[in-house]
Amino acid sequence: MKTKTADIIVATILMCIGLLVLSDSLRLGSGWGMEGPRPGFFPFLMAVLVVGGCILIIRRAMTGKSSVKGEKRFVPPGGIRPVLTVFFPAMGMVIATEIVGLYLAAMIYLAAYIRGVGGYRWQTVLLISIPVPIIFYVVFDKMFLIPMPMGMFGAQILRF
Amino acid sequence: MDILSNLMMGLQVAGQPYNLLAAVVGLILGVIVGVLPGLGGANGVAILIPVTFVMPPVAAVILLSSIYWGSLYGGCICSILFNIPGEPWAVASTFDGYPMAKKGHAGKALSAAFFAHFVGALLGTILLTFFAPLLAAFALRFGPPEVFAVMLLTFSAFVGLVGKSPMKTVVSTALGFILAAVGIDIVSGELRLNFGLVPLMGGFNFIVAVIGLFGIGEIFLTVEEGLKLEGIKVRMSWKDITETLKAMVVYRKTLLLGAVVGAWMGFKPGGATPASFMAYGFAKAGASREDQEEFGKGHIAGIFAPEAAAHAAGTSAMIPMITLGIPGSPTAAVILGGLMIWGLQPGPMLFKDNPDFVWGLIASTWYGNILGLVIVLAFAPLFAAVLRAPFPILMPLLIFICAIGAYAVNNRMIDIWYMMIFGVIGWAFKKLDYNMAPMLLALVLGDMAESAMRQSLIMSQGSLLIFVQPPIALPLVIAAALIACWPWLAPAIRHWRGKEKPAKA
Repeated sequence: MKTKTADIIVATILMCIGLLVLSDSLRLGSGWGMEGPRPGFFPFLMAVLVVGGCILIIRRAMTGKSSVKGEKRFVPPGGIRPVLTVFFPAMGMVIATEIVGLYLAAMIYLAAYIRGVGGYRWQTVLLISIPVPIIFYVVFDKMFLIPMPMGMFGAQILRF
Repeated sequence: MDILSNLMMGLQVAGQPYNLLAAVVGLILGVIVGVLPGLGGANGVAILIPVTFVMPPVAAVILLSSIYWGSLYGGCICSILFNIPGEPWAVASTFDGYPMAKKGHAGKALSAAFFAHFVGALLGTILLTFFAPLLAAFALRFGPPEVFAVMLLTFSAFVGLVGKSPMKTVVSTALGFILAAVGIDIVSGELRLNFGLVPLMGGFNFIVAVIGLFGIGEIFLTVEEGLKLEGIKVRMSWKDITETLKAMVVYRKTLLLGAVVGAWMGFKPGGATPASFMAYGFAKAGASREDQEEFGKGHIAGIFAPEAAAHAAGTSAMIPMITLGIPGSPTAAVILGGLMIWGLQPGPMLFKDNPDFVWGLIASTWYGNILGLVIVLAFAPLFAAVLRAPFPILMPLLIFICAIGAYAVNNRMIDIWYMMIFGVIGWAFKKLDYNMAPMLLALVLGDMAESAMRQSLIMSQGSLLIFVQPPIALPLVIAAALIACWPWLAPAIRHWRGKEKPAKA
């Protein structure tokens, strides 16, 4: 994908967000209420800026006047793989957090990434993936009393 | 003098063992986040804000601001030894820092950078100490229209002076304000922009946005570029330090100029990056012919100028934050958000209502920057070793820590999802020249800007003339308009002058 295409797509998405906000601020009332500007007043102004700005951005991108180099590829060759190998495991950790809680999810995530992507020996993998979440557990949950998400089953598993 | 006695009180507050400890811990953490690519001062502060809830506010702000000073010091380690600017304002210091380190003078390059930082910090801190109280006293006269005018000036500075695409800056600013507006309307209490969705009722938290945009997004960019961290080994010796001190005397003008440019630019939002480039440019232009040849190949003045400017800018960014409630840098914005969470309203009243807090913060800036210099000089090789940790181990740890920080703000699982979404947004925005600093600032200041605007309109019963009322609001608005239109004005002026004097192109 060319950077130009990405530029136009992103601006279009932002414009749609702007239009959504515009519609909701009109519902709330964007004018003058009983004693002052109504709740939709400020979002309305901002949404107008977003929509107007995006139209100009799209026009600039189409005519090749954008500050980004439109003909360059948006993701450099060989760049998408490393990004995805970071993105998907991280998403996996977030999903696992919903189920077993952040600490256990982090243990699995750290172990899987260091072993699977990094290709380290099992000793190294275990030496990092097990103690690190435990240290954070002690510091946050026990010392500072800041609870971390436990997911659906985390609280049953982590009983100490 | 009033200021001096207040400063003495502040020094006592900040000098208490607990607060000093907070400063040292903050500095060390700050240098580490500054050294690591993908984590910056704004992120480090954002992640630690929840931890500070259990601390007294003075210690908390000392911890957070010390992370800031530490990250400023740490940023240059990354750019000099690894040729990777950890922060945008560290770009200029790679021009001469890395070549110098490559020639085998890594220790000297680092000590030059650290001392330059110290000079910049000193000027910024002096300004903070003596100028901030005056500005705060002046700002006491501000009503809602004036506050709004200052905001306008702030954001127009982003549009006019920073970033490659002014239009995209406008859009990202407006998006920040929209994100801030999601949830409950602070004036009427009505729910808005949640489109009937329950998770959106709570709105967006700026800390989550910082961690996503600047943390996760930066990690994506780093892996995409396939950066290989191959640093230069460094050893610091006394000789490096004495040689640096000698060079400082020779290039005292360069240093001072850098610091002044930094302090002046840092006052305006987003000023640190242009300040470091400007200082570098001035240093080069002011050098003798033989010296100019050396720039870019490892000239010590090429390190002095941008580093002094960057740190001075970072320090003076605290002045508008503490006096007007308008932060001059993303990190200052996050600290400001922290103040609001602790129930302290930044702005001129803070000086009146919480003098021990304000002066404790100012005094800790003195301690923090002096201690910071000692810490980085003593342990620079150790901090550089952090960067040699293999990336496949470092990266998942960073994401784990980011997730902790995002969740801890509000104890909401949805925030971890938002963090990932903001990460993708940050990645795309950075590549398409959308400036994220004003978006963050708008998210932090959204409620304040909106209520200032609405209160003004209520005061004037709908007349827009209230925003241009003399004596304070009018010049601010005029300045804002001029700065915002600068990208379009500048070529016009150049064109006009070009016609007048064709010889001087």
